[in-house]
Amino acid sequence: MKKPDLKKLKEVDFKKAARDFVYGKPHGERRLGDLYIPKTGLYKHREWRGIKDTMYYFNHIWLYNYGMIVRDLMVYGGGPKGMIQFLKGTWRYRWMGQTYLTVMHWFDRCLEGMRGETLAASAWHFRGIVSACLYQITGFFNRDLNIGGDPELRAKTIGTDETVWGGVIYPYMDQGGYYLPTQMIPYFVTCHCNNHTVLNYIDAVQAYGLPGDPCPMCQAEAGIYIEDDVPDSYVAMVTTNEACDSSVGTSVIQDWMMNKPLFAMPQVMQFDDDSVLENCAKEIEMAWRFMEEHTGLEFHWEELKKHIELQNKQNQFEREKWDVAANTHSYPINGVAQALYRIFYSQYGERPFWHDVDKKVRKIMEKCVNEDINTFPMTRHRVIAWSCAPLYYSAWCTWAYNCWGLNTIINMDSLMFDLDIRTDTYENCLLDIAKYHEWAPMRRMAVGGLQHIFELWENMEKFNCDMVMMYDQLQCKGMQGVVGLFEDEFRARNIHAIWMPHALPDKRTVPRSQIRQIINDYMFTVMGEEPLDPSLLDFDDSDSW
Amino acid sequence: MRDLKHLIYFEDLLQEANNELVRKGKEDGNLCLGYTCYFMPEVLLDLPGCFAVRLRAPRCTSPDMASYYMSGRTCHYGRSLLERALEGGFNFIDAQLATETCTVTCRFQEHLDYMDDVINNATFKTSFTDVPFKKNENSIDHYRKQLKIKVLDFLAKEYGVDTSDEAILKAIKINNEVNDIITEIGNFRKLDNPTITGYEFSVITLVSMVCPKYLIVDKLRETLEELKTREPDDKPNYKIKVLLAGSENDDPDFVKLIEGCGALVVADRHCYGSLEARQHIDIKEGEDPLTAVARHYLLTSQCARFMEQKEMRHRKKVLADYAKEYKADGIIVESNKFCEYWSFERMIDTIVLPRDFGYPVCSIEKEYINTASGQLRTRFQAFVESVELKKIQEGK
Amino acid sequence: MKKAKKKKNKVARFVKKTLGIAGLAYAGLFCVFYYDLDGKLLYYVVEPFMKNHFDNMERRDPHTVPYEQIDNEYM
Repeated sequence: MKKPDLKKLKEVDFKKAARDFVYGKPHGERRLGDLYIPKTGLYKHREWRGIKDTMYYFNHIWLYNYGMIVRDLMVYGGGPKGMIQFLKGTWRYRWMGQTYLTVMHWFDRCLEGMRGETLAASAWHFRGIVSACLYQITGFFNRDLNIGGDPELRAKTIGTDETVWGGVIYPYMDQGGYYLPTQMIPYFVTCHCNNHTVLNYIDAVQAYGLPGDPCPMCQAEAGIYIEDDVPDSYVAMVTTNEACDSSVGTSVIQDWMMNKPLFAMPQVMQFDDDSVLENCAKEIEMAWRFMEEHTGLEFHWEELKKHIELQNKQNQFEREKWDVAANTHSYPINGVAQALYRIFYSQYGERPFWHDVDKKVRKIMEKCVNEDINTFPMTRHRVIAWSCAPLYYSAWCTWAYNCWGLNTIINMDSLMFDLDIRTDTYENCLLDIAKYHEWAPMRRMAVGGLQHIFELWENMEKFNCDMVMMYDQLQCKGMQGVVGLFEDEFRARNIHAIWMPHALPDKRTVPRSQIRQIINDYMFTVMGEEPLDPSLLDFDDSDSW
Repeated sequence: MRDLKHLIYFEDLLQEANNELVRKGKEDGNLCLGYTCYFMPEVLLDLPGCFAVRLRAPRCTSPDMASYYMSGRTCHYGRSLLERALEGGFNFIDAQLATETCTVTCRFQEHLDYMDDVINNATFKTSFTDVPFKKNENSIDHYRKQLKIKVLDFLAKEYGVDTSDEAILKAIKINNEVNDIITEIGNFRKLDNPTITGYEFSVITLVSMVCPKYLIVDKLRETLEELKTREPDDKPNYKIKVLLAGSENDDPDFVKLIEGCGALVVADRHCYGSLEARQHIDIKEGEDPLTAVARHYLLTSQCARFMEQKEMRHRKKVLADYAKEYKADGIIVESNKFCEYWSFERMIDTIVLPRDFGYPVCSIEKEYINTASGQLRTRFQAFVESVELKKIQEGK
Repeated sequence: MKKAKKKKNKVARFVKKTLGIAGLAYAGLFCVFYYDLDGKLLYYVVEPFMKNHFDNMERRDPHTVPYEQIDNEYM
């Protein structure tokens, strides 16, 4: 038997080791990069965060969420039958069977290094997102005629382009009216959770002749239809031009491949102009009439009003969160949780699970404020992230904080939809709904006129940010069309901005390691700073989810 | 065929945006109003005291400065226009009547608006019109309102232009005169052995878009008269006839390139083509002229941005109908690199037109100015050969 | 009395056994969690299996999807 090296043993600081075991290593000594198995993004072992936070993660996040996934499937799916439908769907659709089973790793990536209230509040956001996903997944499968779904449920269901706001179904929800954004789950969320599958859809549409340069998000959305991977769960479809020219192209492919009644509900391009609202409002009303004709549902104003008011509450809480984020160091939600939760609920529309999450997060946030907890104590720079984000690397914010102390306070997509819809009269409500559509994510700023994209400056000030993470979506024509003006403005205003090139869902164009390298280079050479965790500077996660 | 008398003159006019007739138009005291897209009705920019110029950037092959502002990953057309503007090539425009009908041309026009020093012209201003994506009554109504506020009221307020119904009627009259001439010239392409080439027609159509109409109309009329007696070559020097469809194309040399490969271009359904732009504007009984204009421009367009289910599908049939009407043997569908609307549309056209309508399709991605002519020539030659073979097999 | 004691012992044994199993299961799950065994199973076994299944699935040929001209009123 090998003798213990007493000399080495003597060098061990047992007191510190015990402290690290109980409380976790302090930021700066964690060496999170050493935990990865090369290429895979898997962990040799998950992070030890101290007894309290590790057990919190194990019990309240890992175990809890696995359990709640089963619970959601049973509840939303309507019991054992729903479970059978879920299994059938998992076997039938790649975006489900190859993607979502890896969901807990999504939590891991986004919550690395988080502690205490930040860990809890951010995890609750993910719980909300997962619940919303399962609500939709069961919604798809229970109605899907491809796998023996219920035609009666399908008859009351409207499919939409994912950028059609979910509130269009509010007036019909008390009658079982159901809304299914046809790409949100099959495409959008997959990229965050497991970016392997989306590549199949991009390749599929290019194999049928689409050039490689249109927005890859729209390519993937069209590819789902080309691959026949959209469940037959709805009677008719409402589509839109949001967010860009490519979205219009996607609608043409959708229409061809699904061959169902389709209503186009386009939004105006030049908005912020009262002269355009009437047109939008009429289109929304026509969309309602279309939905009624195809589902047999009736328009219930009181039902619409009820949901709008609940949605306004969500929006009001969002503003409270922004206020805390902007003016204190006690905001307990990390950049990726903030961004994904906000974009998801504001796009999908008001549902009960969001309120449950908001209640829990409010409690945590109030505690942080009341006790003046510094939730991101190693913050060196307060970052605002602008333009459209890399879907395959939304967890970059977590990495940037752990590695460099770059704390992402807010991002562009979160600031859209910032509107309380009036419910005093039908007419006012309708006009505000029209405006709400115009202020959709990406739509408002990436293609909606220069005055909107340059709202960056006032938001930097409002959120007390000293640095910009400027997303550079290489295939977004709207954003590529203004890169020079941004460069000029950054120089003139003496703003530190890091350009982060990416191609939305497609990690092959700009790998994650390259994104990290760009940030590293800027931090070393321009900012002259040293990393908080050098093990995170360079690691191979090329084949990871 | 005998050379057209004014062809060289027309070609010269296309060599630069600020051509001889534009300068003359301005010397006559008219306002020069720039635009890029069909959805900005040129007829409203031809109101008394104004003339419309559809912007082009001829001979711009390397838009380096514009690529700094708009990156190298946007449509070459939009970038070339910005390059020309940055070079000072558009200082003659007094106002830009803009639309956000495709993203990159919108961004180009926003640069004109945002950067004070791009257009060195003290009177220069821009105004953006919102253009609907549908053709229903709601859209026509919206479009009309937009044209009233963003074009007519803008011109009246900023430049004192007469925008009365009478003034619009006058503008419609001169536009219709040009439209009718071009349409009549274009009809010679329907002959079994056409008496005009696609290149010649492309040049003629383009000059009508980039010069003051009152200064070019006589020469267009003369050309029409000339064509009435023009004899075709005994032996046609083309192998097949094609319809050219797709996105922005204001480069007659591109048409020349196609024709050099043996495919006569007999119909043009693209952004600078005549099939939509040169239709007669009708005013329905009891309709005010502005409503007629809004209706005309919305309903005549077959742009790939229209989203109604019926329209999305119908426009493929429209192409096939044009091909039939102009006796085309095949269809060339082109899109500028980075044009998103036409990337998708081209993909579907390439599958649906041969399958459902029996027209062979040559699907091409091109630049604004086509320096890669060798590659394109090979594609066109192969297409011509395949269609020829098909014709032989079918015993035509 | 003896019978009641015996019954009590049986209950205690059952509780002890249940707690023991639960404790072991909890410890086992913690190992799965801590050593990322769920991730490893999904990455090395489940995903390749599902990928293979989906790669070999028969799919509709988009070329065969009809593209009918329609005349609906939703303009």
